[in-house]
Amino acid sequence: MKDRTRRTFAFYLMVSPWLIVFLLFGLYPMLYGLFLSFTNYYGFNIHHLKFTGFHNYHNVFTDTDAMHALGTTLVVTAFNVPLGVLLGLGLALLLNVKVRGVGVYRTIFYLPSIVPALSSVLMWKFMFSSNDGILNNILKLLHLPEVNWLGYDYATVSLVMMLLWGAGGGVLINLAGLKGIPRELYEAAEIDGASGLSRLTHITLPLMTPVIFFNVIMGIIGSLQIYLQPILLTGTELLARPIEPNYLYFVHAFQQIFAFQRFAYGMALLWILFLIILLLSIVVFVTSKYWVHYETDQEG
Amino acid sequence: MLSTHMIKGETDHMKKLTLTLSAVTVAATVLAGCGGGDNGENSSAGTNAGTNASANSGTNASSNADSNANTSASGNNAGSKASGEVVTIRTSITDGELSKDQIAEFEKDHPNIKIQLEALDATKLAAELATGDAPDVIRMSGVFDLPGYVIKGIAMDLSDRIANSSVIKSDDLLPIADIYRFDGKTVGTGPIYGLPKDWSNDYAIFYNKKAFDAAGVPLPDSSKPMTWPEVIDLAKKLTIKDGKTVKQYGLSATEWGKTEPNFNNMLQYLLSAGVNMNGDNNGSIDLNKPAAKDYLNMWVQAVKDGIGPNSINNDQTSGGDLFLSDKAAMIIDGYWYSGAIRSNEKSKTHLDDYGMLPTPTAPGGTRVAPTGGATGAIINKETKHPEEAWTFYEWFFGGKPADDRAKTGWGLPVFKSKMDLLPKETAFDKQVNQVLQDELQYTSQYLQTNPYLSSGGWPIFDKYAAPLYFGKSTVEDAITGMTKDANVVITEAMSAAGQ
Repeated sequence: MKDRTRRTFAFYLMVSPWLIVFLLFGLYPMLYGLFLSFTNYYGFNIHHLKFTGFHNYHNVFTDTDAMHALGTTLVVTAFNVPLGVLLGLGLALLLNVKVRGVGVYRTIFYLPSIVPALSSVLMWKFMFSSNDGILNNILKLLHLPEVNWLGYDYATVSLVMMLLWGAGGGVLINLAGLKGIPRELYEAAEIDGASGLSRLTHITLPLMTPVIFFNVIMGIIGSLQIYLQPILLTGTELLARPIEPNYLYFVHAFQQIFAFQRFAYGMALLWILFLIILLLSIVVFVTSKYWVHYETDQEG
Repeated sequence: MLSTHMIKGETDHMKKLTLTLSAVTVAATVLAGCGGGDNGENSSAGTNAGTNASANSGTNASSNADSNANTSASGNNAGSKASGEVVTIRTSITDGELSKDQIAEFEKDHPNIKIQLEALDATKLAAELATGDAPDVIRMSGVFDLPGYVIKGIAMDLSDRIANSSVIKSDDLLPIADIYRFDGKTVGTGPIYGLPKDWSNDYAIFYNKKAFDAAGVPLPDSSKPMTWPEVIDLAKKLTIKDGKTVKQYGLSATEWGKTEPNFNNMLQYLLSAGVNMNGDNNGSIDLNKPAAKDYLNMWVQAVKDGIGPNSINNDQTSGGDLFLSDKAAMIIDGYWYSGAIRSNEKSKTHLDDYGMLPTPTAPGGTRVAPTGGATGAIINKETKHPEEAWTFYEWFFGGKPADDRAKTGWGLPVFKSKMDLLPKETAFDKQVNQVLQDELQYTSQYLQTNPYLSSGGWPIFDKYAAPLYFGKSTVEDAITGMTKDANVVITEAMSAAGQ
């Protein structure tokens, strides 16, 4: 018991720098934002705020733009997260194979995730472009009809494609997970005559579930907050409005705050997004006991 | 992976901690960053407002250190000149508008003032204004931002200072300078809150003769304005296609983007058509006017016809690039663009191929050549150093930098006496000047913006205009939607302003 107290103390001591910064620059602004969401704050009237109760929250649900944007965001997330997690895992499995020059491949696949969003969007924009864009040139070579990648029909597909390009970002943590699987398990399986596929499904995948779990949670959080990519994909500046199919929830909040100075309303939008993310995270956490395998639990 | 030697109790304990931390991480990631990318500073929006009585707290460590030092040393910054204390004036005027050399020169003459440029975009400025961290001298668009800033109580009244200034002489100011006057209802009257650094007849047309020749179309008469439908028709004739490939476009609507209509451009059309969308006291707007519908119909067809790069043809080349590489025959831009043509590598060797045409009108409308920007600055009412801010302001707007600006031809001066400084050597300069002299007679009217909507008109316009290009909506619905959305913002902003 005493030992545990000591451990807990050590734990909090070690996380305290982060915790203090979080309380000051994370929690305090968050709660201030929560307070403002119940007012008519418009960016300049801080000294004569009026309390408006749940008015802003009520407005979120009657705001067809917000609801439409939420729907689009959930759809984008529904594709982006599973595909991103699978792609990240698949890449990690490939990059875990001992071949010559694997370090180079690892670097190449990781690279997209360190390219700033602005540059990667610009690059994709030209790839999606109809005049000499590489994607349409490929379609032309294949004698397929060219498409308007950034028009109404394909803009969302293009956005998800661009986001998945960064899936290699998960490779780092996936590789760490793969390296953490004890070699003895594979050796034992090999002695028992297990095939490559069954080693994958019976050892690798179950033992990777904590990593997958982490990636899913972080993926959902990140995906629901995407705003820079859709804005810049069809616009040239931050206050530009993306084409309707790419008008995501966070973009809506961003526009309300910075294009229209509806700070209080924007805060309400963001707190509702917080609740949605919390809810989805809880769902994933609760279901995790059915599919996430902790090595220690199995032994215990 | 957790150690296999750990007993279950400890594992559970660790799991709990991990879960707690993860939950906290979830919360932190969602809420702490309203802007996760380039705009990390956005998270401060609406967070510390109210705690900052002082205008200079926050954003910039060095400037704070300076101003704090001043406060403690002299107690009163107004008297810092005499005491030899150094005051830092923060401004969002960009480094392209105020060079290091100019700053060094100013600081040499004014050892008590340090100038600090702060790169600001609209989003960061909104956040800084919200938290009381905005610079002492705030750069802005006279047309779209000034009235709103006056209503919000951000702009300092400079009337007396300008009246008493020996650098900025009131009787030397052109009428366009009045765009920084606002009495709460009408732009152009009331106290003076600032000055434009320069301005232009922003909806004029520049032509590229090479592209006209390629299409075998003669240049239009530059002594009288075309109507907008005439411009669009001309652009159609100037667009050359080889099958599906476009060899040259007729028109670039902006130098940075697509050839599509926009809110600001519509305001010029409405001004020419004599239509005011604003209701009494700017308390609402109504776009349900025939002129607004004509404007949209004309442009939707123009986009469908592909007279320039747009959302339908998905050409990502910018309008300015196309124009300067002879792939667009015309571009909508004001006098300042002559500066771009003079300095661009692609155009400066053959200036005679370019020229300016007067600002087009609405069909049957009056001739107007309003400015669409009049970029300038105000002094932040909350500044801790009004005297030093004014010293800098006076110098930047009326002193040597004003002369330097006029000489480059990247915009028009606001002083009659500085008009002579504009470039007038080449045939191109002369052609542009000749059209300009004519245009100057039509610059006394201002775009009828709504102070409560400020720059929100542009995204609202885009929201309803984009579906039109793809046949997903009708002009009627678009007009209704624009009006509705704008009025939501106007009503809320008015109520927040206590009106």
